[in-house]
This record gives sequence, C-alpha cells and structure tokens, in this order.
Amino acid sequence: QQTAFGATSVDPDTPVEVESDELRVNQADGTAEFVGNVVIVQGVMRLGAPRVLVVYDEAGEKVRRMEATGGVTLVSGPDAAEAQRADYDIEAGKVRLQGDVLLVQGESTLASQDLTIDLTTGSAQMSGRVRTLLNPKN
Amino acid sequence: QQSDAPAVLVADRVWLEGQSRVIAEGAVEVMQGDVRLRAARVSYDRDSERLLIDGPIILTRGENEVIVADAAELDRDLRNGLIRSARMVINQQLQLAAARLDRVDGRYAQLTRATVSSCQVCGTRPPLWQIKARRVIHDREEMQLYFDDARMEVLGVPIFWTPRLRLPDPNQTRATGFLIPSIKRNSQLLTGVKVPYFIKMGDHRDLTLTPYLSSETTTLEWRYRQAFANGRITFEGAVSEDTLYNKGRAYVQGYGQFDLPRDFDLSFTIEAVTDDAYLTDYGYSDADLLESNVTISRVRSDEYIEARLGHYFTLRPGESNSEIPSIVGNVLYEKRLFPRLGGELRFKAEEHSHLRYSTTPGLGRDVVRLNAEALWFNTWTLPLGLRAEGLVGVHADGFITRQDALPANQSGVSPTAALTLRWPWVRNQANGVSEVIEPVMMAAWTGGSGLAVANDESTRVEFDEGNLLSLSRFPAPDRREHGLRGALGLNWTRIDPQGWDARLTFGTVYKADVDGNFSPSSGLRNSVSDLLIAGQFRNQAGLSLTARGLFNHDFNINKAEARAGWSSDRYALSASYVWLSADATENRPSNVSEWLFSSDFDLGRHLRGSLEGRYDIAADEPVSAGMGLLYANECVEVELSVSRRFASSTIVTPATDFSLTIGLRGFSAASASGRGVAKSCR
Amino acid sequence: CGFAPAYGPGGNAASVTRNIALAAPQTRLEYLLNQQIERRLGHAPGGDYQLTTAITTSDERIAVTSTNVTRRFEIVGSADYTLTGPDGAVVTQGNVGGFTGYSTTGSTVATTAARTDAQDRLMVILADQIVTRLIAAAPAS
Repeated sequence: QQTAFGATSVDPDTPVEVESDELRVNQADGTAEFVGNVVIVQGVMRLGAPRVLVVYDEAGEKVRRMEATGGVTLVSGPDAAEAQRADYDIEAGKVRLQGDVLLVQGESTLASQDLTIDLTTGSAQMSGRVRTLLNPKN
Repeated sequence: QQSDAPAVLVADRVWLEGQSRVIAEGAVEVMQGDVRLRAARVSYDRDSERLLIDGPIILTRGENEVIVADAAELDRDLRNGLIRSARMVINQQLQLAAARLDRVDGRYAQLTRATVSSCQVCGTRPPLWQIKARRVIHDREEMQLYFDDARMEVLGVPIFWTPRLRLPDPNQTRATGFLIPSIKRNSQLLTGVKVPYFIKMGDHRDLTLTPYLSSETTTLEWRYRQAFANGRITFEGAVSEDTLYNKGRAYVQGYGQFDLPRDFDLSFTIEAVTDDAYLTDYGYSDADLLESNVTISRVRSDEYIEARLGHYFTLRPGESNSEIPSIVGNVLYEKRLFPRLGGELRFKAEEHSHLRYSTTPGLGRDVVRLNAEALWFNTWTLPLGLRAEGLVGVHADGFITRQDALPANQSGVSPTAALTLRWPWVRNQANGVSEVIEPVMMAAWTGGSGLAVANDESTRVEFDEGNLLSLSRFPAPDRREHGLRGALGLNWTRIDPQGWDARLTFGTVYKADVDGNFSPSSGLRNSVSDLLIAGQFRNQAGLSLTARGLFNHDFNINKAEARAGWSSDRYALSASYVWLSADATENRPSNVSEWLFSSDFDLGRHLRGSLEGRYDIAADEPVSAGMGLLYANECVEVELSVSRRFASSTIVTPATDFSLTIGLRGFSAASASGRGVAKSCR
Repeated sequence: CGFAPAYGPGGNAASVTRNIALAAPQTRLEYLLNQQIERRLGHAPGGDYQLTTAITTSDERIAVTSTNVTRRFEIVGSADYTLTGPDGAVVTQGNVGGFTGYSTTGSTVATTAARTDAQDRLMVILADQIVTRLIAAAPAS
C-alpha cells in the first residue's frame, strides 16, 4: 500500500545525523541540546527546528527520543509538515507534531492541532478539528 | 458547471490513505457555497473527485432545504450525486422521503419511490395526507414539484391517482396553475364547485379565471391585475348563464390608483352589472348602489385639491335610475394661510353639479352650485386659563336649478362670526391617572337667509360630538345655519396608561328660531336641540365600549348607537346596536333597531370558530346569521362557512350559503396562513 | 380637589401645546385631523415638539333591512399619536378611538355628502381627544 506520507517508509534503525550551531551536553540526565538551525536527517526524512533536545537511553549510546520546539518543519519526499513542536520517538518510529499543524501533500493541505506520523507504515493521522480543502485535480 | 469556490472539510480526525484518498471521521463537515454537509464519515478520492459519505447525513442548502439520509455519494461541490434513503424538508414545511435521491447540477432533485407530505409523521401512523409517487422531481430554480404516477392518500386511504401532477414548492409565490378549489352551496344555485386557475403574465400582470359550476349555473369569474411603475389596476367580474334569470348575466368591478406628477393622485372605481339581483344571488357584493368615479386629488399641509366625476346606478327596488342624481361632478379647492397678525385664514371654493336623466320637471331636477368661503379665526388664552376662539368670515353661494319649479338662479352672501370658549381643567394624580374637565360654549351668528334651492344633499343630518361646536351642521352648502345660535357642552376625560380610559360628553345646541330643514330625528330641529350624551370606556383587558344617544325633551331616545369590542389573544368579540326613531322625512316610516354581533374564538390549538348574527329588533326577525370553522394544522387548512340570509325582496331571496375549502399546506408560499401550529405526536 | 386650569397659572399646557409641529398629511383624513389639531393649538411648523399620528378607519354596515338594503353605515376610526420633545424623547403617546354614523337612505348625493361629513366629524372627534390628552400630559410646572 503506497505510503501516505513521504516518498518511502523510514527504517527506524537508519542512523540519525544532527547538525546545529551549538551543542550543550548534560551528563547528569543524559540529554544533549542542539541549539540554532538544528537539522536532523534520517534516511529520506529531514527535520528542522531552532532547538532540539535529544534524550539518550540509560547506556548513553542510542538516541531514545528527540523533542524539537520553537517551530518545526518536517520534510519527507514531496510531502511536508510544520508545527510548533515535534516529538520523535525513534524506537516506535512515530513523530508527533502539535500546535498549528499544517500538512502539505501535493495540492491539498490539512490543518489541525495534532498530527501523528508513523514512519514505518507511512500513515499520517491528524486530529483535533482538522481542516482541509478538497481542491479539484487539475 | 463546477462552482469555483473549493469545498472545505473539517473533522475530528483525518488521515491520508495512498496518494489520493483523504478519510475524515468524527463530526465531519463539508461546506461549499451555501451547501453544507454533516456526516459521520467521509472519504474523498482526489482522482475521481467523489465523496463517499456514511450517515447519519445532514445536507442543508440555505435555511430552506434540508436532506437527511443514511449514505451518499456526491461530487466535490456537493451538486451532483446519489443519496440513499433520503428525507428532504423544504421550508421547514414540506417533507419528501425517498429510497433514492439524485441531485443534478445542484438544481434538480429526483426522488424515486417518494412520499410527499407536510404533515407531522407520528410513529408508524400514516400522516393526515400524503402523496406517493413513482418519481418526484424538484426543480429548485422554477420552484416546482413534478410527480409521476402520483397517488393521494388521506389517513393511509388512497383517494385519487393521477399519471402526472405538478405542484408549486413552498417558496413559490407566483406561478401559473390551479389554486385551491372550493365547494359552494347556495339554496338558489345549489351545490357548485369553484376551481380557480391563476395565469402569471410576466412579473407585473396576472389573470385568474375561476369556473363556477353547479346544476343551476355555469359561471366564469375572472380577475385581472396589473402593476405599473406609478400605479396599479385591478378588475374583477363574472359572466353567468343560470336558471334564475332568462338572459345572460354579468358584472364588472374595477379600481385603480396612479401617482401623477406634482404629487397629484388619480384613482378610479368602476361598477356595473347587467341585472339587479345578480350581485346578491352570487354573493359578489352587498352594494345596492353602484358608484363609478374618477378622482384626481392632492393633499398638502396647507392645501387640498379634489376633482371628481361620478356616475351612480341604483339596484334598490322602488328607485328608478332616471330619477336619482346619476351624474355628479365636484371640484374642491381649499387653501390655509397663516397671516403675520396670527390665526388662520382659510379659503374654500367648490363647484358641485348633479344631473338626473329624467327631463320631467321636479323628478328630473338638475343642479349646479358654486360656493366660496373665507374664514379667519384665532385662539387667545384669557386669564384663569380660558381659551377663546374668535372667528369671522363670509360665505358666497350661487345655485343654478334646471327642470324644476324652483327659481333657475339663486345666489347669496352670508357674513358669519362665532366665538368658542373652552375652559380645560386638569388633575394629574400621583398614580399616573389624569383627568380633564372641559366646559365648552359657542355662540355664532350668520347673516343672509336660506336660498330657494332644493335640498338634495343635506337631507341626512347627524348630531354628535364632531359637530356640536361647528359653524353649520348641514353636510352640504345647499343648506346653511343662519341667524343666532349657540351651543353648550361639557367634556370629561380620564386617562390612565396602566388602567382604564374613559370619556363623557354632554351637549345641546340653542337656536334663535326653529329650522325646518333639520329632520325631526336629527335632534336639531327645535330651538333647543336634543341632549347629546356620548361616552367611551376602554381597559387594558381589551374591552372597549363606545356609545352615543340623543334624548329629546321628555328624555326618551331619539337616536342611539353603541359599539362594543372585546379582544384577547384567544377570543375577539364585537357587537353594535342602533336605534333610530321613525322619521318620514328620512324614509323611515317606523323605528329602526338592530343588533349586530360577531365573534371569533379558539376552540383548541387548531380549531378556530366564528359566529355572526344580525337581528332586526323593530321587526323582531333575524336578518342574517353566519358560522365559520377553520381547522389549520401544519399540513392542511379546512375552512367551512355557513351563512343564512333571511331577507327577502325582489332582488333578494332567503338563501343559505355554504362553502368548504380544503387547502394542502406546504405547496406555494401563499398557503401558510400563519395559524398552522405543528401537531404534537400523541 | 386637585383640578387646575390647564392654561391657567398652575398648568403649563401652553408651553407644550403652543409649539407642536405636525407631520405633513398624505391623505384627506390626515389633512382634516391636522387641520382640527392646528385650529385648537395653533400652526407651529417649526415647533420644538413633533406630533405624529396614524389613522385607521373601517366602514361597518348597520341597520340592514329585511330587503338587504343598507340604511346606515358607521365609520369606526382610531388614531395612534406620539409627541416627541425637543430632545427626541417621547413626551406622551397613546391611542384614541370613536365612530360616526351616516344614513344611506337619501339620494346618491345626500349619501355622498353624509359620508364626507361623517369623515369630517370623526376627524374632529379624534383630534379633540388627542388635544385633550396633550393638554393632560403637559406636566403642571
């Protein structure tokens, strides 16, 4: 079944590259905070945000989840989504965008307060009074 | 054609499947122009641009069209598509249920195996009436409903079938077609049916033809109306062949009104009938005197102009058209000036002429009169609050009389002067009740003496509070009050915005000498007139009582009239009483006394009754009686009226008229009489 | 007993009723009503007070003979009136009513003259009632 969001599904194990202007590491709680033009790339998906907090597992090597705040844009193939914040649970392979969410896919755009993208299945579900335009195919 | 505005979808949850399917669930709303769809689940396929919709579905268009359904498949702008087990409600009145409803171009709705009714459907019981049809097409632009293979059922019982039927939808105000038929029963014309057919001729003209058929008559009634930019005309009439009269019979009644330049107004009425009894036999009119006239007039705060030419035709037994004044002409000019020295200067000039066809002297008298009048009056406030009005003026009258023994020409000038004193006393109480006691007194003198002219116009003089203080109580200048005369009166008024109002007037007129021109029953014949007593009582509960009486010297009644009215939201009652003493000069050989009573009242939520009766007390016999019942609920209006006329004469025979009208509500905007309270299911 | 001459020293009917401006008449009946009100209170087109009136009349057949000939008509009239002060506030308003009768047993011209006279008298009756209520509504200063 064709993925609904993004060109192809994303394997959660593919490595995650993170670039940012600045990095602050907090050994105590095992987190690292990237600040300034943060870009996270995993396979065909790119996530950009002004600030991303990365939380590692207890061992400290694998990234468990990321919290991007301050206006997030998520691009995968032709589709794109933006919201105020995004929480990426890497093991579950789910990205949850919240706050003024806008999903753009080809001609149609969907707006709501909450969007959950399952990167493994490629399905995208919006909730919380979703609003979209049913434009004609041209 | 595809409407340009994109359709907006809003839902609780939306997800994307594949590249072209959007699925929405939870309070889904799709809005496009004035069309709005609400459903539980909608899936939109971008390639086919189709919406697959699962119910419960509510599709509304403006406030006047609602479709409720279980499932539907519509195109993107909701204008075309198929709706399953749909129930469509137009104007919150007419319900159309169908297994399948196809929308075409947003204009047509085709319902297959449809049931149409405007009645409340209670549980499984069949509604009062419904129309079942193999197919119904609703044309939204033409506002028409077209039925194929339609069967009318009343309480579930089929009563007639028709291959094709067209009915206007509830928004339709003007469309060619049959109107509600009615059954008429009249003891002379027996039972007949009237089936009106309305023909719309553009936006400004229409013609209604109503065949009226019974065993005794073949009649066509017609009404033609036309509206112009500056006026309108309405003509109605009928043509009949019946067993009551040997020849064809017809009548026509027309009236029109036009605005002319410079604020002038033109109006005309035309009334004509072929034989005297036609109007009463068919109940077209009570008139026993047909008046046709053309009038041009203008009204301004300081000027009144009227020119009128009229023709009369009498239907009264015993009156011949050659001996009544048939052709009547009037020109009237009145001007009010307000000089610097104060008061009002009022000029009046009038030409009146009336001609009788007969040329035999006396019977065929023709009269032309020219009258001019100039009056100046002003009011001063004297010490102690006395209000004094002084009036001086002059009347000039000229008469030309032909075909009569009276002198051909008469003219005269009569100076006149009058003083009217009013002394209003007021008491304003704390509780908002105010009372006014106002003694009034008037003294007047007019020179000159009556002219030797016929009294054609002033033969019916009335005396009431309206002319207690007037200069001349004759209705027309062919008679005038001369010499010294006066009047005394007392007015009492009680005003209570929260409680009851009342007023009472006493009055008497004093004349230096008896005036034979006043008829005995007018109350003004003797030098000391009858005592006028008039009063009124009105309260917040809607009761109002107004009465007036003239009492002669030994205090028995010369004339009495009373009107009573009582209205609440459920009842309305009105009664009137009149007692006129016998007076040969007013063609009243014996006393005339009559009760008139009419009321209408609620008999429950849907039934309204009305009763009416007229009783001739002097002759101690009923004149006419009537009863009416109006049943109206949300989908049907049944009006039943019975009226009995006991009068009999050459132009009238005792007759009982009965009429029954059954109207289905929900078709055409005119059918809603506003009383249709929706029935509640019991 | 509480009564005082309306135009006397105690009453101030004069101050109110002296400068009432009437709306322009559209029909003969309104012309007659205004004529009688202005005859009683004076012509003050620029007055501070505005009086608006609305007249309704209906003709009722009375004294119908057994031969269905109508011998008399009654013109039943009522008039709503509203007096607004210089500031546009309503000083007083209300409704007055009455009826006059006229006989139709005379000749055609006698009936027409009687009907016109009945209309004139009815307007005098309604106007006099309105004037009485305006006098009563003028608060004693």
